[in-house]
Amino acid sequence: MRGLLLVVLLLGATLAALLLGQVSMPFSMLWEGLTTGQGPGAMVIGNIRGPRVLTGLGAGAVLGLSGALFQTVLRNPLAAPDVMGFTSGAGLAIIAAIAFGFSAPMPLVAAAGGAVAALLVAGLSWRPGHATPPLTLILVGLGIGFLCSAFSTFLMTLLPHAEAVEAQRWLTGSLAARNWTHAAQVWGLGLVLVIAALAQVRVLSALELGEELAAGLGIGVERVRWTLAATGVLLAAAGVAVAGPVPFVALMSGPLGQRITGARSLAGRLLSAAGAGALVLVLADLAARGAVPGLQLPAGVTTGILGAPYLLWRLSREMERGGL
Amino acid sequence: MSLRTEGLSLGYDRRSVIEGLDLEVPEGQMTAILGPNGCGKSTLLKALARLIQPVAGRVLLDGTDVHRTNTRMLARRMAILPQAPVAPEGISVGDLVRRGRTPWRGALSPWREADAQACASALEAVGLGELEERPLNELSGGQRQRAWIALVLAQTTPLLLLDEPTTFLDLVHQIEVLGLLRRRNRETGLTVVSVLHDLNLAARYSDQLVLLGREGLVAVGAPADVLVPEHLKTAFGLSAQVVPDPVTGTPMVIPL
Repeated sequence: MRGLLLVVLLLGATLAALLLGQVSMPFSMLWEGLTTGQGPGAMVIGNIRGPRVLTGLGAGAVLGLSGALFQTVLRNPLAAPDVMGFTSGAGLAIIAAIAFGFSAPMPLVAAAGGAVAALLVAGLSWRPGHATPPLTLILVGLGIGFLCSAFSTFLMTLLPHAEAVEAQRWLTGSLAARNWTHAAQVWGLGLVLVIAALAQVRVLSALELGEELAAGLGIGVERVRWTLAATGVLLAAAGVAVAGPVPFVALMSGPLGQRITGARSLAGRLLSAAGAGALVLVLADLAARGAVPGLQLPAGVTTGILGAPYLLWRLSREMERGGL
Repeated sequence: MSLRTEGLSLGYDRRSVIEGLDLEVPEGQMTAILGPNGCGKSTLLKALARLIQPVAGRVLLDGTDVHRTNTRMLARRMAILPQAPVAPEGISVGDLVRRGRTPWRGALSPWREADAQACASALEAVGLGELEERPLNELSGGQRQRAWIALVLAQTTPLLLLDEPTTFLDLVHQIEVLGLLRRRNRETGLTVVSVLHDLNLAARYSDQLVLLGREGLVAVGAPADVLVPEHLKTAFGLSAQVVPDPVTGTPMVIPL
């Protein structure tokens, strides 16, 4: 069971993320904090790194699952909410809400932004009477993503300096200053959405064989696509609401998860993607806050440094295979 | 299980490919759709399988318009294998074939004895019983195509449509595929409609031929009545002589 390997890696990463950082602590201190609820260990778990790590695990998981869903529905390894601009749309909505003093629950704002971006991508790629090739969706999505990022940057200039710095950090994708509310929020929403995604596995496994075969197997392809896309957008939004539009986690997690667990079944691959997403985000955050002494970089910096070369490698492989 | 079209007109990009076609697919027989490239063979097959909307006319399965029938219920009576399907990476033969049970299973219903039986029987029919656990991409081209056929056989429909099931195969594997479809047809009464390219093989393995040309339907009927020099001229612009196949006695086309 290589699924166990992923679990062990996750536990190891969680432990490392709790122990290490600008100030590292010995395991005994963490243990004491865990068992007695007293001392510096308890402080770290309760207030500083605990909620941060838990939020990171949840946000990484929902982003990873979202990426795997889109990759399966569109049958293209480049399809992911971060590449296709949905996470940028969600990020823009949140920045806009802050800039214009509009108060609403962040996941709702993020979901609305992600959905608008997704509808724009679908609408702009649509030609009447023709099936939309996945690559068109991806390229149009890239454009929408850049547009959203540009608007976000513009809105930041409207904010007072201190808030703008905070917003900039958040837009890069950051787990700084997360509390238990954030953790509870992403885990609560995440669990509901994971169940929703797993309930669609049978339909998805038919869709994975191609539109025509799926239709022949009795699947209402159009309707099912919308439901799956909505699930994917909501998953991504749940992650963005607490961690910002962290780049490339969604793109990388599907293939990485499958590499780790070797899962063949669709449900196994989706869960592996969620696990890999959690792993990537927590480790990226750990690396980012430990990399430069005295400076806590946002996690998105690390995922960007890891993800961009991965994207280039993927693109070159697609070109070799004649997919581009 | 009767399938027929009524005044069926098909087209795409404002180009009409088939107009006012009335066609009856004989039950329990093997039908092949033939014709030159671009004449609308695949378009016709897709229309029969409710994958595209006709411009006019209807496709009737047991007297009901396929576009007015619940798609899942339809999938229990009619299966379609599209041309050159692409499998998810790393999928095993068994996993692929099991997906053929989709129309028979709800979102939560467990894997039943009937599902297992249908898959086992389908795998056996295509001769892949031993290779169930193997990844599809490790199989040869012929075996892979047989695995796809097992998928639609596992759907256990009385009617099976196939779009160019032999196109990328060498002659031996073409015969293998057509032979297994024919066996299934004779043993279980499965109605088979396929788009084929090879006229002589189509004549050998079919009870009815549908010959299309650039201007629409040229001829329908038994192979000996359809594959005659005049029809070949009309459909393909081909000058040919037709002689009886020395082995089977079915018509054999020899281009001049």
